[in-house]
Amino acid sequence: MPTTDCQGSSASFNHIGRSILSLRREQIYSMEVAGSHDVELEAFQKNVAERFGDLSSAGNDDLLTIAWVRKLLDVFLCCQEEFRVILFNNSSIVGKSPADRLVAEFFERSVKALDVCNAIRDGIEQIRQWQKLLEIVLCALDNNRSLGEAQFRRAKKALIDLAIALLDEKDYGTALAHRNRSFGRNNASPKDHLRRIGHFRSLSWSVSRSWSAARQLQAIGNNLTAPRGNEIVATNGLAVAFFTMSSVLLFVMWALVAAIPCQDRGLHVHFLIPRQFMWAAPILSLHERILESSKKRERRNACGLLKEVHQIDRCARFMNELVDSVQFPLTEEKEREARQRVQELALVFEAVKEGLDPLERQVREVFHRIVRSRTEGLDSFGRADHNE
Amino acid sequence: MAENGEEKLFAVARHIAKTLGHNDSMADDILQIFSSFDGRLSREKLSEKLSDDDSRGCAALEHTLKSLERQISQYITADNPIWADPADSSAFLDSIEELIATIRGWSPMASEKSVSACLVRAEDLMQQAMFRVAEEFRSLMERGGESFELNQSTRNVASFYSEEDEEEENGGLIANDEDEEIPVAQPITDYDIIIDSLPSGTINDLHEMAKRMLAAGFGKECSHVYSSCRREFLEESMSRLGLQELSIEEVHRMPWQDLEDEIERWNKAANVALRILFPSERRLCDRVFFGLSSAADLSFMEVCRGSTIQLLNFADAVAIGSRSPERLFKVLDVFETLRDLMPEFESLFSDNYCLILRNEAMTIWKRLAEAIRGIFMELENLIRRDPAKAAVPCGGLHPITRYVMNYLRAACRSRQTLEQIFEENVNVVERGASATSLSVQMDWIMELLESNLEVKSKLYRDPVLCSVFLMNNGRYIVHKVEGSELGSLLGDDWIRKHIAKVRQYQMNYQRSSWNKLLGVLKLDNTSAPNVVARSMTQKIKLFNSQFDEICKAQSAWVVFDEQLRKELRASVAKIMLPAYGNFIRRFQTVPDIGKHADKYVKYSVEDIDAQINDLFQGGSGSAGRRR
Repeated sequence: MPTTDCQGSSASFNHIGRSILSLRREQIYSMEVAGSHDVELEAFQKNVAERFGDLSSAGNDDLLTIAWVRKLLDVFLCCQEEFRVILFNNSSIVGKSPADRLVAEFFERSVKALDVCNAIRDGIEQIRQWQKLLEIVLCALDNNRSLGEAQFRRAKKALIDLAIALLDEKDYGTALAHRNRSFGRNNASPKDHLRRIGHFRSLSWSVSRSWSAARQLQAIGNNLTAPRGNEIVATNGLAVAFFTMSSVLLFVMWALVAAIPCQDRGLHVHFLIPRQFMWAAPILSLHERILESSKKRERRNACGLLKEVHQIDRCARFMNELVDSVQFPLTEEKEREARQRVQELALVFEAVKEGLDPLERQVREVFHRIVRSRTEGLDSFGRADHNE
Repeated sequence: MAENGEEKLFAVARHIAKTLGHNDSMADDILQIFSSFDGRLSREKLSEKLSDDDSRGCAALEHTLKSLERQISQYITADNPIWADPADSSAFLDSIEELIATIRGWSPMASEKSVSACLVRAEDLMQQAMFRVAEEFRSLMERGGESFELNQSTRNVASFYSEEDEEEENGGLIANDEDEEIPVAQPITDYDIIIDSLPSGTINDLHEMAKRMLAAGFGKECSHVYSSCRREFLEESMSRLGLQELSIEEVHRMPWQDLEDEIERWNKAANVALRILFPSERRLCDRVFFGLSSAADLSFMEVCRGSTIQLLNFADAVAIGSRSPERLFKVLDVFETLRDLMPEFESLFSDNYCLILRNEAMTIWKRLAEAIRGIFMELENLIRRDPAKAAVPCGGLHPITRYVMNYLRAACRSRQTLEQIFEENVNVVERGASATSLSVQMDWIMELLESNLEVKSKLYRDPVLCSVFLMNNGRYIVHKVEGSELGSLLGDDWIRKHIAKVRQYQMNYQRSSWNKLLGVLKLDNTSAPNVVARSMTQKIKLFNSQFDEICKAQSAWVVFDEQLRKELRASVAKIMLPAYGNFIRRFQTVPDIGKHADKYVKYSVEDIDAQINDLFQGGSGSAGRRR
């Protein structure tokens, strides 16, 4: 391994980290504990890289599916656990300057992530409302029933509510006018209608109306920069672990916001991760791919990039078109087409129905783990100076 | 109808025969079997029908349907609300009932072309009827609510959080114990109030509609309309209780005083929600969806989920927030509120749909306990880290002693709650001796305080003043502990030990300050008279100057405790006065000098006594002026 000048800021961070670790190992090679400390830190880097490598190996069809997001949360939980152990094993260093500043910063970031978790939970509830409308469509166009005008009318009503629920705020008024033309028996005012289906949109109990996911993400990422050589030395290499975990936190929260509907989604967060970190490549590539897919679906951004949501949207739109185009009695061809669409819809519905509950539990678990690790941190590092 | 029923029976039998029989002879065999079961199903009759293309059965269906169409479509197109007139609504419901029965009865024969055509019409009729029912359902919920709830129930709720005197009239929702500076929310039996958001008649109507909608397979729509209306009502009620959606960060950024107000509002809102609003919703739900328990559970969860999460989220934010010790009392309020509401969470959210809400409440309640333990930990840290900067002038009471003792006394007013919180902590092993109970915790904090004070006492360069400082603070500690909850937690042994400790400081003081002076007055009986005379002259001079010095210093010192001050003076007087009196008397009898004794003796015994009684005048005395 080449020996690098520790202070050289242009040198590769990874190499700095490593060379310092090895340098220290030589200096205090007799101390068993120090050796295991370095092994632990290096293993953490490697594991984070491997886990994200695995995530980024997902094909475009799998990326941003509920299953993928759940895997992402699993990865987060694993990283968090490993990081927790590192903190625990190094509490004597972590309790003192300069590492104590890193701890404080990290906890501050992670507390900010809690609001993201809560907003995401509300977002999952929003998807659940869409799922309920889907269920009505499926119930109306049940495979075992004959498909008559009645069934289509019933489905249509649910589909229109669904389409409105999936819309951006700005397209709201026109959509309502349309809906009223279709269904307004008595001419209800748009406000009235907004009220009627309004609860689809204002499903936020955990954050205030002015809360913004975009701003929250920026706050989490604020001042997140790779540690400098001297910082790494001064913290026995822990600065690298802190930077790694903070980046994982930021990325996971960013991806959640990207995938799931929540207030004021915005994905303009810069990931300043030097390529030399083992895990930089998979995270940056995922970042790029997710951004790419968000650009493709610019217009429907408000709902989140989750594959299943996209499928709900797509199936609902096809179904809507079909419902508008049919004449009764149905031709055999149209009926076949309708049955096929229903089948597609049923598949999406099943996927959402099966996936949302465990996803919500996992988001909650992430929340609890963040809180727990912070509490443990406050408990043990607050006392650290006493234990010296 | 009987005729109709028989037709249906034939139709079913024929249908089975046709479906099962792959060819005519097989169908024939099956009919043969049927006819042996029931005399009415004679072979001739059935086989005739078999080829007759079911014209008679279908005619009956056709007939029923036509009449239903006539009845129902008049309602579907009605401009006025159907439920405005009970006769209309019940006729409408009866028709729907019949339509449901007809569809259900004929569906097995849907493969018959003519039946199927009729069924399509029936379904069409049903769908239109259901849309109309759903609309009426919604408007009944909204209208019924508007005319009723605003006038009665909501005002009831409003009165729960308005004026103090109103609360008093209601039996006092929130009682403030007068001599406690910490207001404690106390649940009152008056929560035994159920709001009827809708008039009973409306509820019955809604139930009849819901029953038909579920029977017709429109349960999802019904539940959807129901929960969106009630949710709106509930959220409106919550916001009238002064509760707003706040993110965790917003709660954390809030100035503490604002947060205190918010917590008070939360306490009241949580009680009203869990004891009045939610149970009322549960009851309404159970009545509207009576006999339809799954729909009732689902709808109830949909209605309450958001508000519950909002309530819990705030408590969570408080639990995760700052551990600053002054927050203890408010966090305790939140903890106690949630604890006292746990039975409500258990009973209201006992079904499967709501399980998640109940578990959340439990988790967050536990987290509040953790937060309170964290606050005590922070208190420990504060005591431990309180820097020994400048010594308190005149050896007086240190602010930290006052702060910690008053804090602990106030905290111990919630002794039972704290005991619960610390007992729960059994599995967390801390600092060797596991802090499992509140008394251990208190003991530990007192130990920290005392060792911090000892470090601070080292700031005094004068060891005598150091003793006075420790004596003062020790005395204050004992004083605050005795006869309080804190005292009963620490135990009599602890108190005895600490009284002894204060006495020890007192002895130290006396020894290091006055015993030296006493030594000066020691008489020398062995030397020659002229030597004695000279030495006594020197001694009296030395005494005078040292006594002046001590008095000058110590009259400025502080002993805050009246009784202790008296004790100290008395004990000083007790050793000094006899010794000084002896010395003077002896001095006056010494040849040669005796005559001129007045030249040397500056103070009479009374003077000394008076001076001693001027000790420890403290800040109001010369010390204050000297600064």
